[in-house]
Amino acid sequence: MKKLVIDPVTRVEGHGKVTIHLDEDNKVKDSFFHIVEFRGFERFIQGHPYWEAPVLVQRLCGICPVSHHLAAAKAIDQIVGLDPGDLSLPAQKIRKLLHFGQVFQSHALHFFYLASPDLLFGVNADPSKRNVAEVAIKHLDLAKKGILMRKFGQEIIKATAGKRIHGISAIPGGVHKKVTLKDRDYFLNSKEIPSIDAMIHWSKEIIDFIKNYHEINHKWLNSFADYPSGHLGLVNKENGFLELYDGNLRALDANGKVTLNDVPNDDYIQYFNEGVEKWSYLKFPYLKEIGKENGWNRVGPLARINICNGIETPLAEEERILFKLETNGKINNKTMYSHWARLIEMLYCAEMMKSLLNDVDILSNDLLRKGTRRNEGIGIIEAPRGTLIHHYEVDDKDRITRCNLIVSTTHNNEAMNQAVKWVANNVISGKTKITEGMLNQVEVAIRAYDPCLSCATHALGQMPLEVSLYNHAGELIHEKRR
Amino acid sequence: MKKEGKYKTIVFGIGNTGRQDDGLGWLFLDFLKTQNPHMDLEYRYQLQIEDAELILNYETVIFIDATKEDTGDGFYFKTCKPSEAYSFSTHALKPETILHLTNTLYYYNPKAFILGIQGYQWELEIGISKKAKININKAKDYFKKNVIVDCILTN
Repeated sequence: MKKLVIDPVTRVEGHGKVTIHLDEDNKVKDSFFHIVEFRGFERFIQGHPYWEAPVLVQRLCGICPVSHHLAAAKAIDQIVGLDPGDLSLPAQKIRKLLHFGQVFQSHALHFFYLASPDLLFGVNADPSKRNVAEVAIKHLDLAKKGILMRKFGQEIIKATAGKRIHGISAIPGGVHKKVTLKDRDYFLNSKEIPSIDAMIHWSKEIIDFIKNYHEINHKWLNSFADYPSGHLGLVNKENGFLELYDGNLRALDANGKVTLNDVPNDDYIQYFNEGVEKWSYLKFPYLKEIGKENGWNRVGPLARINICNGIETPLAEEERILFKLETNGKINNKTMYSHWARLIEMLYCAEMMKSLLNDVDILSNDLLRKGTRRNEGIGIIEAPRGTLIHHYEVDDKDRITRCNLIVSTTHNNEAMNQAVKWVANNVISGKTKITEGMLNQVEVAIRAYDPCLSCATHALGQMPLEVSLYNHAGELIHEKRR
Repeated sequence: MKKEGKYKTIVFGIGNTGRQDDGLGWLFLDFLKTQNPHMDLEYRYQLQIEDAELILNYETVIFIDATKEDTGDGFYFKTCKPSEAYSFSTHALKPETILHLTNTLYYYNPKAFILGIQGYQWELEIGISKKAKININKAKDYFKKNVIVDCILTN
């Protein structure tokens, strides 16, 4: 049996590798996507005072520290006796502005830096040319806009959290600083950076680009890594619309049947189990009622657009309607549509940021509330990559005694394994020669989920990806690093 | 698209103090802050594409990070040149790649250096190892004698 390995070589960060097992006829026998991520963090935080959680959890991930910060903050709010709606309106709005800035910059990074090289140059392009530098050379305007959009989101984070790294925006019961008039005007007046109106305009331009791309490449995009799955995310408590900061949990199966019916955050534990496999440190969450085999869900942009009833901002809603038409209103299980869905969310975030920047509440000093102390707190938000759950228990001395995190990449664990299986079975199986383009298609399928494989740490000299091919005798016959 | 009236130097510290010796880059920035509170210091978990735009405003860029490499003296301080070294399977960017992007997008090449400080332990824990502490102290001494006195860090 041959073993094909795609192995990101990392030091201590999230560690993922793909192994595809072939038999002697080169047919795929099995395939796995293994991940090691966030190891030990849940124990690491035990014993710390609860108010440290929103700060410490930022160390989890260099890509979305704000998401962990906010999910932890929501959980810690409950420990000080406050549910999300109990916070002052200014505090809620400032947190949302921070969150939309985070999602906006994260989606921009993913599209311009990680996804666009595949889309612009094709999966079979020379790897040395399939990168953001080539995007910069061939599509200079697109690359510059990508950088400025990313920067805009980062500047929103800075304005709301104080600084981009280790900013402390959310504190138990609210936020620690308001947005200043000067900061607010910085995003509105176009004097120093392109304004929020430019962000909306550019977001629409990029959606037009992806729609055009789908029109030209629909055959590939409609078939590549198309497999049935459940879809999970938060929806607005009142109207079931797209919700990223605070809502109820909803899941639909591959055919649109409701499998989780707008469940309040506090009840999540009644509905979810986490399975384990010997070959991966990452758990496999699933809905208890359906079981491990079929109860897993995708999370992230595609899932969120699938499950929501609508989007509250007009431009993003127009785009959602067009997106849904692609599948005649039915659930979309096509992995490559994740990019399109991500860009719709980017537009939604831009529209929401504009609305919040023009809201006087973000300039208010009414930032904190107090409640009656509890011993447990649950915070769930939609991080850029999907549903993120933080759950803490504390003792009477204010120390954290238990921590449970279910992060987006964990929810997507089975979905990414299915994506790898799809490519293995449809692209690699039975071929006499394994090409670079075939291997890249494995990555393309995984990359659509924007998994956080490079969390928390980084050092000079890292070699993040290694591709190894073994023959049926277990001998290494092919190896690539990039 | 060179901007006029550039500042002199920006220093990026890359890493994570929650991962033992991976925090060397940030700790070095903390040290620089004590030497001159007006320096432009940027703490990063990872370098990101927008940093290619940020460095447009500076004549000199210094990247500071922990390294696994055997550096001999516990650290190295060397020139950093633009390089088309990419991995789009990760969100992280190398200093050389940032410079390459700045060059490609904005036709600008600042002077650039890398300070790599050798680390040994990378677990989820706050605090650097004893050996890394020796190395960062050597790097601090080197900077005091050879870099800060050159005033390249003073904007």
